[in-house]
Amino acid sequence: MKALAFHAEKCIGCKLCHLACSAQNEGEFNPRLARLKITSIHKRDGLLVRGQTCDLCLTCVEVCPEDAIVEKNGRLNFLPELCTDCGICVDTCPPQVIVDKPEGVGVCVQCRSCANWCPTAALTFEEVNK
Amino acid sequence: MAYIDKVLRINLTNGRTTSEPLNKEWAKDYLGGKGLSIKYLYEELKPGIDPLSADNKLILMTGPLTGTIVPNSGKLAIAAKSPATGTILDCSIGGHFAPELKFAGYDAVIIEGKATEPIYLFIEDSNVELRNAADLWGKGAHETEHLLYERLGDVITLAIGQAGENLLPMACISSELYRQAGRGGIGAVMGSKNLKAISVRGNGGVKIPDIRKFSATLNKIKREDTMTDDNMWAYSDGTPMIVDLSQSTGILPTRNFQEGTFDEYKNINSEAVKSVLKAKKACFACPLACSNYVKMGKTEIEGPEYETLALCGSNCGIGDMEALIEFNRLCDDHCLDTISAGNTVAFAMELTEKGIHDFGIRFGDVENYLQMPTLIATRQGVGADLALGVKKMAEKFGGRDFAMEVKGLEIPGYEPRGSWAMGLAYGTADRGACHLRAWPASVEAFGKIDPFTSEGKAELVIGMQDINSVKFSAIWCDFWAISTEQMAEILTLLLERDITAAELSTIGERINNLARLFNEREGFDRKDDYLPTRVHNEKLTTGFTAGKSLPRENYEKMLSEYYQLRGWDENGKITAEKKKALNL
Repeated sequence: MKALAFHAEKCIGCKLCHLACSAQNEGEFNPRLARLKITSIHKRDGLLVRGQTCDLCLTCVEVCPEDAIVEKNGRLNFLPELCTDCGICVDTCPPQVIVDKPEGVGVCVQCRSCANWCPTAALTFEEVNK
Repeated sequence: MAYIDKVLRINLTNGRTTSEPLNKEWAKDYLGGKGLSIKYLYEELKPGIDPLSADNKLILMTGPLTGTIVPNSGKLAIAAKSPATGTILDCSIGGHFAPELKFAGYDAVIIEGKATEPIYLFIEDSNVELRNAADLWGKGAHETEHLLYERLGDVITLAIGQAGENLLPMACISSELYRQAGRGGIGAVMGSKNLKAISVRGNGGVKIPDIRKFSATLNKIKREDTMTDDNMWAYSDGTPMIVDLSQSTGILPTRNFQEGTFDEYKNINSEAVKSVLKAKKACFACPLACSNYVKMGKTEIEGPEYETLALCGSNCGIGDMEALIEFNRLCDDHCLDTISAGNTVAFAMELTEKGIHDFGIRFGDVENYLQMPTLIATRQGVGADLALGVKKMAEKFGGRDFAMEVKGLEIPGYEPRGSWAMGLAYGTADRGACHLRAWPASVEAFGKIDPFTSEGKAELVIGMQDINSVKFSAIWCDFWAISTEQMAEILTLLLERDITAAELSTIGERINNLARLFNEREGFDRKDDYLPTRVHNEKLTTGFTAGKSLPRENYEKMLSEYYQLRGWDENGKITAEKKKALNL
């Protein structure tokens, strides 16, 4: 299965991926609504570069008690009419990239807006071992 | 929308915070960033105030592009009346603070008055708190940022170091450790208000119509017009690539501008920086990532940038990269502007070598050189004198002819004797000697235009000053060599009204005229648009510029032509007709 992959050594920390994701999926430029988390900050012990992206592990599909998240043709699909806002998917998502919204959640749909915007190919869409 | 339409006003004297709509009339005439912050200061500051008094105001201003996906739009303008020069002062800082402020729901923050004790500001959306900073006072900017991050979580911070606390005219404001609003003592304005830091977290967003179409258009522009050979030098090298260019054209400031070439330049050029490169770093929304994250010995920094390599390297006779990196880190942590600090140390070195006054430091003396940033920022030992900056040191100790400053601001890393338009750019820049208001060295010393003639230079500098003022107001970083036409195209999409290149040129002209008007009100005129005597009276002796000076009559000719083309009188004052034409 193909999914997003992050290559820390190439990341420059520009956040264009966050903007591309939130514009495409939420209709606004808001990095905190992005369905991925790229961190590039200077900590006491040096530069920390970390990427959290959906690798289609399907934990959310498994844990959702209402089957409100399903996988279809290598993409997650969120069904808002079934969601009860229980928050289990948000809490258990291993890379922590499901956005908790006032109503429902935002899951990565592998739209690749982030990878299309990434200027250094730090984000790619490639075969993942699942 | 591209503007949030909200300005946060904080009075530190009484602790009151209020919000008000952005002045949309002014935003139309001045866009944002540099232009709009100058407009607010011009309208709100009384003439003649002490820049370090409670009467001065510190403005943080975003622009219409801020927070959007437009490439290279991550910068913030910070403005006040300058403690170094007494002129208008606007600085530009990269990183991620500007978009974070906009996501918190503000176009701008205006900080007034003075706190009675050290405080910092914490802004999270509509929640604005003035918090005690007693435990942060006296600490470097780096430790301050780390502590605030640990205390507040995911925030972006502007902080000052000891130089700002001690009100140095060369104190800068720092963010994300290695980004600076560098020049003119902007950090001392924060220090004078007892304001140690400003931390912000924004949870909102920027909404524009038809955002998906806008993003698709901008992604195409990013690929076809931003990430091109004209701009990708930033990624491949960053500003250190200028060292070789300056060396080969004889404009690399060396030993306090005594020469334009440096024998050890290969120790401090781009190849030398690349040999210790660990990663590239970008500001928000920037695909060019000019910043070099380097590590050498125990020291890691983002840098050194060209200006640091030139002013703190060759200009101090220092060809030791490890020492330079450590000097750079010390300046960043204490919040010293490296252009002014490098110049000041070099000036002290020349005064010592010439026997005028013994500061105990000579060109190339690495051991004492590395003591300087801490001594200067804390005003200890010889640092107490160096903390005055070049102009006031010259007034106290002598060496006026080789005090390399304009209006009290030390000169950047391009020798004007080998780039005459650069001399005019220094002389006429609104905040004193500055290379960002116009950078004609790019087409003159480094390009095809004859650097050793006065012809056509006034027009060249004016054009650059006006377009850069638009860029710094929208806000675009100057490292994208974007045309005025393309700026107009993008702003038209974003602001949903027709904006032409001609309108932008007028906005740029208006901004420069308003800045001049601010300075005129403070008593500045032609007498202040001087260059250091050394540039006129001493010829360089090595490299491409051997035998070259910038004779005073040539400079005065450029200056007169500049005033004439600007529509100013022979004394550099804006005429009534020009004021009327620009709606000033």
